[in-house]
Amino acid sequence: MAVAEVLRQNPSAPRRRLGKFVKRHLLTVYAMAVLAYLFIPVAVVILFSFNNNQGRFNFTWQGFTLRSWRNAFDVPGLFESLLVSLRIAFLSALVATVLGTLIALALVRYSFRFRGTTNILLFLPIATPEVVLGSSVLALFITLNVATGFATIVIAHILFNISYVVVTVKARLSGFDRHLEEAAMDLYADEWTTFRKVTLPMIMPGVFAAFLLGFALSFDDFIITNFNSGQTVTFPLFIWGAARVGVPPQVNVFGTAIFVITASIMLLSVFLQRSRRTQF
Amino acid sequence: MTKRFSDIVAVDDLTLDIEEHRFFALLGPSGCGKTTTLRMIGGFEEPTTGTIRLDGQDVTGLKPYRRLANTVFQSYALFPHLSIYENVAFGLRRTKVSDSEIKTRVGEMLDLVQLAGLEKRRSGQLSGGQQQRVALARALINHPKVLLLDEPLGALDLKLRKEMQIELKRIQTEVGITFVHVTHDQEEAMTMADTIAVMNEGRIEQLGSPTEIYERPRSRFVANFLGASNLMSVRVIDAEAGRVKMADGVELGVDPDALEASEGEILVGIRPEKIRLAMPGDSDLPRNSLEVVVTDASFIGVATQYLVRTSTGAELSAVAQNVGAHRYSPGDHVLATWEPGHTFAVHG
Amino acid sequence: MADVGHAVAQTRRMTARQWGLLIVGVVITVLGVTMITGSALSGLARLVIPIVLIGTGMAITVAAIRSRTRVAYWLLIPGGLWLIIFYVIPMTQLARTSLEEGTFQTGFEFAWRWDNFAEAFTTFGGQFFRSLLYGGVATIIAIAIGYPLAYFIAFRGGRYKNLLLVMVLMPFLVPFLLRTLAWKVILADDGFVVGVFQTLGLVEENGRLLATGIAVVAGITYNFLAFMTLPIYVSLEKIDHSLVEAANDLYASPMVAFRKVTWPLSRPGVVAGTLLTLIPAAGDYVNAQLLGTPQQFMIGNVIQSRFLVVLDYPVASALSLTLMVAVLLIIIPYVRATGTEELVA
Repeated sequence: MAVAEVLRQNPSAPRRRLGKFVKRHLLTVYAMAVLAYLFIPVAVVILFSFNNNQGRFNFTWQGFTLRSWRNAFDVPGLFESLLVSLRIAFLSALVATVLGTLIALALVRYSFRFRGTTNILLFLPIATPEVVLGSSVLALFITLNVATGFATIVIAHILFNISYVVVTVKARLSGFDRHLEEAAMDLYADEWTTFRKVTLPMIMPGVFAAFLLGFALSFDDFIITNFNSGQTVTFPLFIWGAARVGVPPQVNVFGTAIFVITASIMLLSVFLQRSRRTQF
Repeated sequence: MTKRFSDIVAVDDLTLDIEEHRFFALLGPSGCGKTTTLRMIGGFEEPTTGTIRLDGQDVTGLKPYRRLANTVFQSYALFPHLSIYENVAFGLRRTKVSDSEIKTRVGEMLDLVQLAGLEKRRSGQLSGGQQQRVALARALINHPKVLLLDEPLGALDLKLRKEMQIELKRIQTEVGITFVHVTHDQEEAMTMADTIAVMNEGRIEQLGSPTEIYERPRSRFVANFLGASNLMSVRVIDAEAGRVKMADGVELGVDPDALEASEGEILVGIRPEKIRLAMPGDSDLPRNSLEVVVTDASFIGVATQYLVRTSTGAELSAVAQNVGAHRYSPGDHVLATWEPGHTFAVHG
Repeated sequence: MADVGHAVAQTRRMTARQWGLLIVGVVITVLGVTMITGSALSGLARLVIPIVLIGTGMAITVAAIRSRTRVAYWLLIPGGLWLIIFYVIPMTQLARTSLEEGTFQTGFEFAWRWDNFAEAFTTFGGQFFRSLLYGGVATIIAIAIGYPLAYFIAFRGGRYKNLLLVMVLMPFLVPFLLRTLAWKVILADDGFVVGVFQTLGLVEENGRLLATGIAVVAGITYNFLAFMTLPIYVSLEKIDHSLVEAANDLYASPMVAFRKVTWPLSRPGVVAGTLLTLIPAAGDYVNAQLLGTPQQFMIGNVIQSRFLVVLDYPVASALSLTLMVAVLLIIIPYVRATGTEELVA
């Protein structure tokens, strides 16, 4: 009876319906606004690669030109820094993917005593501020008298990439039917053959995704690299150095190129996934 | 053998002999240890104590890939990245069988399970029933000494399940391999198996043919698990002649063999389909007869299910086949009658 | 025929082979450890060779274990070793350095110099506070912006969910520094945004947004928005829609249903997002450097300059360590509440 009372007091009046209409579309509008907000700086970066800037700074719009695009390779050290970044990203992602995949396999497939400790140990690098991470690794190198440079950057990048690889592969591995490996063993495949023929092919997408993630994180990393780079200059370091004296538009050119290439790949993979799902 | 998981005893001191070339079922509720037992036979779990012998050979410590046993998993566990052909051929490829022979044998096997022509598909493109048959083919093609099936029909809908039960039985008879089938569905076990082991809490309660287990359950658990049992508490008067007395003084006849010379207070039971409801004064009534009141009558198509209450307050269920006999209604005072020979006694 | 019968249990004493493996493994490991601290090698070899030795030693030691879990340990050794050597040990190094005294020229000596910490707090307390302030404000704004976005994608995304998620991530394909520099353009004195704010009266006539705390916070918020949105999305995604429908069925209006059902169930995501935003934000220095002046500098800026410019390692380490401890203080209750299994998943 009390329920009937409550219902009588809140009839579905036209006013409530209007409120719902606004609310429904309010959220959509808000979400679209946020997405726009996310892309504005991207648009600025792209736009300013076409800026006809006079002088060294590139902060005010002074007209449209294709000059920077045509002379993209003219800035000394810029292209080299890109190559350095690519090399570091590739190496560190590769090693981190291998190390991390092994750990993920151990965590998901086996139960052992130090699980909790391992999980914490993997979580900490993600949770640690990059300043602390970078400075502590630097402290190690200083104590051991190891000169900072290319190798130390790679080492530091591998460090933080491992945790992200484990997270990615673990997610993929967990959704894996445990019985598949048992089925393989049931069908006379020993542990190594099972791994080669069943486990590895199945986790490959996850492993690959982890590699890409590590690559992206490494390529874009600034703070940790800053601490451990010595004389080596990566792309972000180049920008940092140039920021004080004036960032040439060619930097925007390459930034735009990177964005367009990677964004296209991402969008492509999304569309491929969608079409594969509808296909049967 | 015994299997302990930390402080849980999954399988408790179990001893089992499974005859070859027969269809054997492990039947029991969830958590009774039947799957654990199956996995131990397959090599996926090691017994804490005990041994397992396959065809006379001790296989206790051996890994699954060294045992001549194959398993059909509950989730089928088909390799999603391989075609149906490669799935079925997987076991053969591990042994050095030639490609041409593999092709022949895969073809034969797919014919056997009626999936010819689907070699190139992936498991994701098949229906549940088809996947199940692929899993079966994949296991059988290796001519194992024993085929282990872990509730393989659980994910199928009713109609398909019934079809597959007959199908599996047919294949087993044709191929002659020992099947060990784990299930919690008593109808399934009774349909397919030559021998059933009813398990509960890690132990085997009773081992026997479907008929034995159904008509002569030895324990309360088995009696109740296989269907309604209408258990009644009675006192033995004359074990040799098979006479027992109920609390209110009514005497019943029991098969002396079923009594097994018990004495004192025991439980006897009667399957619902053996009970014939009749009016006092009807002719040709079986010897056991109780005065009851009908409390519920449900028409289910093939039969009518009755619930009746005795004078002592016990509730019995009776099933009358729908052959046009008189249908009783709740409130009717009738007689529940049955042949003494159909009564069973449980011991524990 | 399968015959399962009784038998004797397996014995659990160690064999000679196991003892042999154990001893050899431990010896090699110890050898590697000692080589790290005192050896004649220089440069990278100084690091690599001991690591290889330690790894091999540990692998051999693990081979002594008989059970199946030894495979797990083998899998863990390479990555685990890396983490220990390049994360755990550096942290202890950091602690050690923070208690040293001296200058770069004269060399550093370990001397239990707690004064470093005192110095750090008195001189740079302001920056510490500012880091927490900016980080905190940025986090709150990120929740305000990110939660509705995550909600929208989870509940209204439908077929476009993946596409929308990709769009949230796409801006982060532009290099971090370029993104931040773009804000310098957007918030430029004669730019559109400042103009609008001036008209609205939020900024005074000749005021700027750049070189103020607002710009720095805006930069931080932007750069870490994805870290807030995605965890919230994940936990919203997991919510069973029928729960909300059940609430509606039980006379709860949408607002109430949100408060009583959706919000509590999404809290883990909000907490995770907060951690993933606040902690990096507090340690950031790029935004402050590019969008602000030394008046807006955060503790990250100080650590960076102390380490790389002034070369005052002890104080820098003290600052770094303090920041780490502060972070740990935030994390520990979180880990206690959610357990360790959810951390890396």
